[in-house]
Amino acid sequence: MNGRLSVTAVSLLLAVAAPAQTENLAVPPYQGVYEPQGVDERGLWMEADETERSARDSGLLIRDQTLNDYVRSVLCRTVGDDRCRNVRIYILRIPSFNATMFPNGMMTVWSGLLLRCRTEAELASVLGHEFAHFERRHTVNRFRRTRTATDILAWSALIGAVTAQPSNTDLLVIGGLFRFNRDQEREADVLGLAYLTRSTYRPQGASEIWVRMMGEVDASALGRAQRSRRYDRAPFFATHPTELERATYLRSLAGPDIAGRADNAEAYAAAMRPWTRIFLEDQVRLNDFGGTEFVLAQSAGNRWTADLLFARGELYRMRGNPRDLVNAADFYRQSITQDDGRPEAFRGLGLALMRARSTEEGKAALRRYLELKPDAPDAPMIRALVDQAF
Amino acid sequence: MHIRTYMITAVALLLMAPAAAIANSLIAANAPVRIANSTLSVTPSQDWNKLSARPGRSAETWTLDGDALNNLTYYAGIQSDRPLFREVDRRNRPLPRFSATMLLADIPTLLENSYRAGRSVAVYAIEQVEPVQFAGQSGVHFRYSFTAGDEVRRRGEAYGAIVSGCLYLVTYEAPAIHYFDASIEAFRQVIASAAIGSGRR
Repeated sequence: MNGRLSVTAVSLLLAVAAPAQTENLAVPPYQGVYEPQGVDERGLWMEADETERSARDSGLLIRDQTLNDYVRSVLCRTVGDDRCRNVRIYILRIPSFNATMFPNGMMTVWSGLLLRCRTEAELASVLGHEFAHFERRHTVNRFRRTRTATDILAWSALIGAVTAQPSNTDLLVIGGLFRFNRDQEREADVLGLAYLTRSTYRPQGASEIWVRMMGEVDASALGRAQRSRRYDRAPFFATHPTELERATYLRSLAGPDIAGRADNAEAYAAAMRPWTRIFLEDQVRLNDFGGTEFVLAQSAGNRWTADLLFARGELYRMRGNPRDLVNAADFYRQSITQDDGRPEAFRGLGLALMRARSTEEGKAALRRYLELKPDAPDAPMIRALVDQAF
Repeated sequence: MHIRTYMITAVALLLMAPAAAIANSLIAANAPVRIANSTLSVTPSQDWNKLSARPGRSAETWTLDGDALNNLTYYAGIQSDRPLFREVDRRNRPLPRFSATMLLADIPTLLENSYRAGRSVAVYAIEQVEPVQFAGQSGVHFRYSFTAGDEVRRRGEAYGAIVSGCLYLVTYEAPAIHYFDASIEAFRQVIASAAIGSGRR
């Protein structure tokens, strides 16, 4: 049902988005260093500076210099060195798909985003979008717009109380405010795509991300036996356009003649490798079976690495239905076939088998874990399990 | 007219409710206390405060200086297919469920994943897991540390056992700086006094 709905909606939206193809994808001349103007903007910058101080000291901050340099280099290649110079990037260990931009030039990139991107071009498209918010000074405009809207609401409440006349001004104003946010997101998407087009990256990555996000949201909902969202129209209170709308207009705007450009998937994978295990571990522990299974399958493509198989084993073992334990043991075994040097794979295999009552085989795997990692934090507990008589 | 009377009564009741909701109670020293109507009981040797806000139906929280500074939480008799604590957002952030088929070695992960899914804790490390006798049962003892949204690094210590298919887990958490060490002994004394009755609830 959802699939059919999406296809119909895609074709509808393609029709709507088609005229946008002629939209100007030129990057405006860069204004250089900017200082906040007026009391609103100075206030917002001051708050952003305060947020930046907390981000700098945050326990979530990933300080690995190599990873930070890499992400910065992708931003610089996307928006150009002159623009890039005004941005400080903070990589935070938060397992959700997000990045944020603050008016003072602080950008946060979340580890969940790094896990979900498959190529440098995809990361570039998200960073470019965030930078576009900064270049267009969206925060201060949104702040002013919100203040005007709340002013109108306050006055309309007062006038309504005096005249006792029902009015639908409130809905119009509130709806307008959320529509304004969505328009800003669209504007940032288009400018972000303009950066990509000017850079050396393949701009099609921008729309592919949103297609995958829809897949993940659907998989997540399915795993929780819920109905998924609609993508063919934005709800009244949505701050962003739907993933479908974004995927559609980004695809139609990306020049087909440059679809053959590099997206640097290998370079991206190599840069993420030292962190892949940690990012996967954070994802697997979120108790989102369907969504995580989707993310793992997307990362794998047609090659399941030892790390991905191990993560999948953990995911199934943690859900822990009898059939899951059988599958988990299988994934651990496949992971071990590719790389038998990771002690935790034997731990997972042993625990899955013991829970599935294959006691002797489970104990053998746990003994191997203890041999490989005798001083593991849980070695005393695992040793007790191995020695336990059933 | 009647409607107005009802409204006034309803508003008055609403105003009174918070006063009752924040009434914490004293747990006096040296008297056995039954936890959350379960078969778990303890006898503390010093006074504790019991918070009236409970993390879940089968849970309760005690503290000495406030729950951000030292937090002793009992999960007493969690049945199979139930989460450890109340779900804040069941649709978008459902909690992992306890299962009677879990091994003792799975309990630390259950607590970790509940924090990650339900309390948005992104940095959490299990530091030690070992077998222990808890309330006269074979149980698990583990130490961990984590950083929650307030950016305070906390250390935790927990004792758990699975009895008749139900999970009994007691956790103690406090900021790593000063507070953890300051009241860990009071927690361990409570644990040493714990007993799980044989009768069903």
